[in-house]
Amino acid sequence: MSRKVDETAVVAGADSTTERSITVTVNGERFERTVSVRKSLVDFVREDLRLTGSHVGCEHGVCGACTVLVDDEPVRACLMLAVQANGKVLMTVEGIAGEDDELHPVQQAFWENHGLQCGFCTPGILLTTYDFLQEKKNPTSGEIREALSGNVCRCTGYQNIVRSVQAADQEWER
Amino acid sequence: MGVKMVGARIKRVEDPRLLRGEGAFVDDIDLPGVLHMAVLRSPHAHARVLSVDVGPARELRGVVDAFSAADLGPDPAAIPVLFPVETSRDTPQYALARDAVRYVGEGVAVVVAESRHVAEDALELIEVEYEVLDAVVDSAAAIEPGAPVLHAAAPDNVGARLVYSVGDVDSAFEKADRVVKDRLDMQRYTGIPLETRGVAATRDAVTGELTIWASNQWPHILRGIVAGILGMPERSVRVITPDVGGGFGTKAEVYPEDVLVPLAASRLDRPVKWIEDRNEHFLTLVHSREQTHDLEFAFDADRRITGLRATLITDIGAYQRTLAVINSSLAGTSIAGVYDIPNVHVEVICAATNKSPASPYRGAGAPESAFARERLMDIAARELDIDRAELRRRNLIKPEQMPYDTGMASVEAAVVLDSGDFPAALDEALKMVDYDGFAEKQRTARADGRLIGLGICVYHQLAGTGPFEGASVRVDPSGQVTVNSGAAPQGQGTATMLAQIVADELQVDHESIKVVFGDTGRIGFGVGTFASRNAVMSGTSVLMAATKVREKAMELAAHLLEANVNDLELEEGHAQVKGSPQSRLSLTEIAAAAAPGGSRPPGMEPDLESVQYFENHAAPYSFGVHIAEVEVDRNTGLVEISRYVVVNDAGVIINPMVAEGQIAGGVAQGLGGALMEELVYDAQGQPQSASFMDYILPGSLDVPEIEVGHLHSPSPLNPLGVKGMGEGGAIGGHSAVANAVADAIEHLGVRVTKTPLKPSVVWELIQSAGQQGP
Repeated sequence: MSRKVDETAVVAGADSTTERSITVTVNGERFERTVSVRKSLVDFVREDLRLTGSHVGCEHGVCGACTVLVDDEPVRACLMLAVQANGKVLMTVEGIAGEDDELHPVQQAFWENHGLQCGFCTPGILLTTYDFLQEKKNPTSGEIREALSGNVCRCTGYQNIVRSVQAADQEWER
Repeated sequence: MGVKMVGARIKRVEDPRLLRGEGAFVDDIDLPGVLHMAVLRSPHAHARVLSVDVGPARELRGVVDAFSAADLGPDPAAIPVLFPVETSRDTPQYALARDAVRYVGEGVAVVVAESRHVAEDALELIEVEYEVLDAVVDSAAAIEPGAPVLHAAAPDNVGARLVYSVGDVDSAFEKADRVVKDRLDMQRYTGIPLETRGVAATRDAVTGELTIWASNQWPHILRGIVAGILGMPERSVRVITPDVGGGFGTKAEVYPEDVLVPLAASRLDRPVKWIEDRNEHFLTLVHSREQTHDLEFAFDADRRITGLRATLITDIGAYQRTLAVINSSLAGTSIAGVYDIPNVHVEVICAATNKSPASPYRGAGAPESAFARERLMDIAARELDIDRAELRRRNLIKPEQMPYDTGMASVEAAVVLDSGDFPAALDEALKMVDYDGFAEKQRTARADGRLIGLGICVYHQLAGTGPFEGASVRVDPSGQVTVNSGAAPQGQGTATMLAQIVADELQVDHESIKVVFGDTGRIGFGVGTFASRNAVMSGTSVLMAATKVREKAMELAAHLLEANVNDLELEEGHAQVKGSPQSRLSLTEIAAAAAPGGSRPPGMEPDLESVQYFENHAAPYSFGVHIAEVEVDRNTGLVEISRYVVVNDAGVIINPMVAEGQIAGGVAQGLGGALMEELVYDAQGQPQSASFMDYILPGSLDVPEIEVGHLHSPSPLNPLGVKGMGEGGAIGGHSAVANAVADAIEHLGVRVTKTPLKPSVVWELIQSAGQQGP
């Protein structure tokens, strides 16, 4: 078994001003944890819940790699504190594929259209796409580019991402 | 099966894991009990370090260790320069600053603590006494007499001086009909991968083996260097580069943290990790591209270039680390590029400044030299009143001149272009973009008060450097095929490409092949993934190993089937007598027979595995033509790219989908450099672009659709006929876009000689022309 290092225990004078107990539902599963009040939501998801698919790219809210859905809205998980997510329902990249382990149509579309290279920005882009397509059908490529404009991809040059979103729009029954 | 996999447009085997969020980047690896390192960095560009006291940091609850250079012994090993030249001065960097700091961000001390939060809290408690010195940030100023000196070993701030000369350039200029020259500046910018750097390390208590996980492009080289600095035998260090979130050359380096993390783990006998934050990334990542070119062409009356003379100043930053002068060398030897120029003289001065050290970034010297050359081509066409496409066509190396020996040799190898038809590529690109119709289109637009422009860049790229790459291919007794490669890719689709090559050779489903790389524990020698080497170097070594395995399998099958090996064929993973599928053996059966104790012919070694190393001493060159069309908003200076065409020739393409992805991604980075990306320092050496708010990366609204045409001139230098091509987009993109912007505004009476062409820059150029439009 791994020895868990409780980070809150080493914060000087840990008490209710430096740590809180929170309850969140992530990808359908309920978690109750005590967290340092200064811990970001993405660090909480990655370190405390070991859901490492959400990536930390800039920690200042520009690159979008850490995007998760909080109560169905895309959120930069590096700009939100874990304690602010108390009582909320989250979805991370690990929750996109169905219970049957099949790739979700959005994921499948990115696979077929070479919509990723290194894959680091991909989780944030998938969640941005998931949210966008839930609200929009038959988007134009301009609308897709607008929707993705808050997510940086350094590898693809975006055009295969745009194609992936177009394909996902066609294939995802929603 | 039966369909050839090399050349097939198939989706990548890498993707499902990454799409599910199951990637394993360095920060994702679960190391029980891991401690976190943080680095105290110099706030000064240039200062003497008078004292460092880590004592107060050690007192903070949760801190496990803190140390500075003073704790590392009196005579630590520096990060070595891999390819020094005769003129190289010794200006090395150590894991921690010793008596001076020479750029903002240089590490002075480290803290290791139970959490990153606590480690960073503790940094604030370290007391450092500095004596601030004058800094120099401009490379031209740095080599002037009287400039602040960074290193006693280089009192003129010249880290090295490189000279490349062919023919009699002075005579060419004396006899010239016309001479065209200018000073062309490229700015400092770099790869900025979306995953920052990161290192984790742990020492096995039983074996003493140190395992290092690093977001890095060359695990074997990192292993050798870190083992050397730590004074450990190589066999006791294992480096793993797991999923790597982009590199673009910036992670083909040995950084101080690559030494500090293993050192901390060894001191403490506990796992330690350090994940760079984005601010540290901007301060300490290798920078690139900043180079000044004083370039001149001598033309004869037929507008053939008879001579090229250039003086380049490369801003190499504060220290020379592993690749030191490589970028300068590759820039110097590629500046004549695709043109047949008989007399060339290039001098490159590597100037030290108080900035983060420089190293190659995607294109490695070629984006810089192509910018200078292709910009001056357009300037010359305007001055000599000749069409710019025609001027290029007249000077391009002709296919019948291949292989074309430039007579020059970079630090790496002789520059000999192996194959290709440059004029055909130019004509194809001009046709795709309807070049003949553009002049009229531009006239019409100008009559409407609109500023549109078209820019051309013709370039070649070094495509697959040596000296070698290694691979093993094994069919285990269960019939499973495993490939180990010395590659260490960062998203290039290498696993898919290598599986395609092996699938053809062993006639098995490519998806069933397990490709493993980025692990020094898996293969004895390896080089890594940079310089567009995967297809050529990893591809060929994997092909060699797979061929050996196939040959052995067939020989063994002949023994088992009591047939002549020449009568056998390999079909769908089975060896069979030609035309007699009833007498066949599966690879599984053959591999089982190959296992020790199995039924082999006398003298045959057991196991169905081969380890092969492809050694090359001459790299192929791929090439391309990029044409951009832009529109410039005369009121804001904003540039919009309206059309983008690429004709690319990289010989045999293993997977066109992957290749086109590389082109599009490269173009995005190139246009980023042309229009927006810049690492800015103020006069005191303080970085002004240390976040994504200040350093602007191309977004989805900035990069146009890219139309790609392929030509195929197979390389004679490897059995696959492949050439690397991952960097070409970044070479062509920068110059095609810059030339297009110039074409849109130079008729106003201005000249574009530097990048990035940010809106403010373009707007000021338009204003300086004093010709406000209607």
